[in-house]
Amino acid sequence: MLSSLLFVALSNLSACTEAPPPPPPKPVEPAGPPKLDVAALAAAAENIALVPSPAEMQKALERAGIATGLSGLVADRPLKMDIENKDVIAVRTGVAMADALLTVKDAPPDKLTARLTLVKTGMTALGGGADIGATIDDINARITNNSVSREDLVKELDEIHGAIIPEIKFEAGERAVPLIQAGSWLEGSNLVSGAIVAANNETAGTELLRQPQVADYFLKYVAVEGAGKAPDAVLAQLQTTLTRLKEISSKPTLTLDDVKEIKSQTDAVLALL
Amino acid sequence: MIASLLFAAFALVAPAQADEASAETCLKTKIWEGYNSGWAVRTATNATLGQGEHRIYLVTLYAGTEYKIMVCGDDTAVNADIVLYDSLGNEVGRDSTKDREPVLLYKSGATDTFYIAVHATQTKDGTAKAGLATAVTYK
Repeated sequence: MLSSLLFVALSNLSACTEAPPPPPPKPVEPAGPPKLDVAALAAAAENIALVPSPAEMQKALERAGIATGLSGLVADRPLKMDIENKDVIAVRTGVAMADALLTVKDAPPDKLTARLTLVKTGMTALGGGADIGATIDDINARITNNSVSREDLVKELDEIHGAIIPEIKFEAGERAVPLIQAGSWLEGSNLVSGAIVAANNETAGTELLRQPQVADYFLKYVAVEGAGKAPDAVLAQLQTTLTRLKEISSKPTLTLDDVKEIKSQTDAVLALL
Repeated sequence: MIASLLFAAFALVAPAQADEASAETCLKTKIWEGYNSGWAVRTATNATLGQGEHRIYLVTLYAGTEYKIMVCGDDTAVNADIVLYDSLGNEVGRDSTKDREPVLLYKSGATDTFYIAVHATQTKDGTAKAGLATAVTYK
């Protein structure tokens, strides 16, 4: 009897002091990002950030002590946008965009608005939607009314070039964005190589123009598609130029003669525009 | 006007991702703030990633130019990370924070191509996908 009572008492005591249920396990914090090997990197890499902007080229040139700016070297180009070939329109639009970016700080209002109007015309021909055209109209109105500072314009054009154009889905197809970028890069490379040659600088070419991956990226889009299709003269020259630029810029070191060839190769394309 | 166009451009890419909008807004704010201290934008783009997933961007960096790579994650992102590799696959930098807005500063000694890896290291409850907006800026 006594032992039964003791058992019951101990059982009750045990029930009263039973430990609360354990807390749910804390979620395991994932480890940091794994190391990726170069094959995985190359296989998955997207090219959206590959190409330096003309404004970035200009800053790099200034940092190298070659020139204080490229705006004085930008030529007036009568770029025609009322043509059939959308690829060529895209390249020309890129050139016009580069010219606007490089001269935004000090170009006379009429010249700057003319360059931006060319960009708008090109964007429209490529089927870039109404928003980009309306934006350029708005910018042009503010330039004409002198109601925007040139510093703010730098930001706005920089953003159009770097963040907006790459995200637009052009009716002309996926080639439009890289070919616009190719036009801008080609114009920037032409001006940079011209500045280096003018300064007779033996070393700057390696720092500023050694970009074989960029030339290779553009080549994939410029290669003319379709058996028997006669290549457009501009695209054919662009392909020749990019192939040579890739070869030159693959060298570990670029000489002044290499830079001179980059200048002449890019001149050859731009002369056809 | 430009801001609305930027939104429209992003919307064309990912129209249904409401959470990506917050990542884009965060990034855009940082880009515009950066202009006040001399930073300009090379490229801005976005992605939707699950926990443990990553996106790789090939990028050309100039010798001597300072680069700031910025990521903004939406509310679903707990920890996003940036890792920078050189063209041979050697890691040359990674952000040191455990948050959804990592930043990586880098100045290259030589003009070359690099790989930027953007990781969604941790998302809420581990299963949700996060919107991550990435920008490469320079000065």
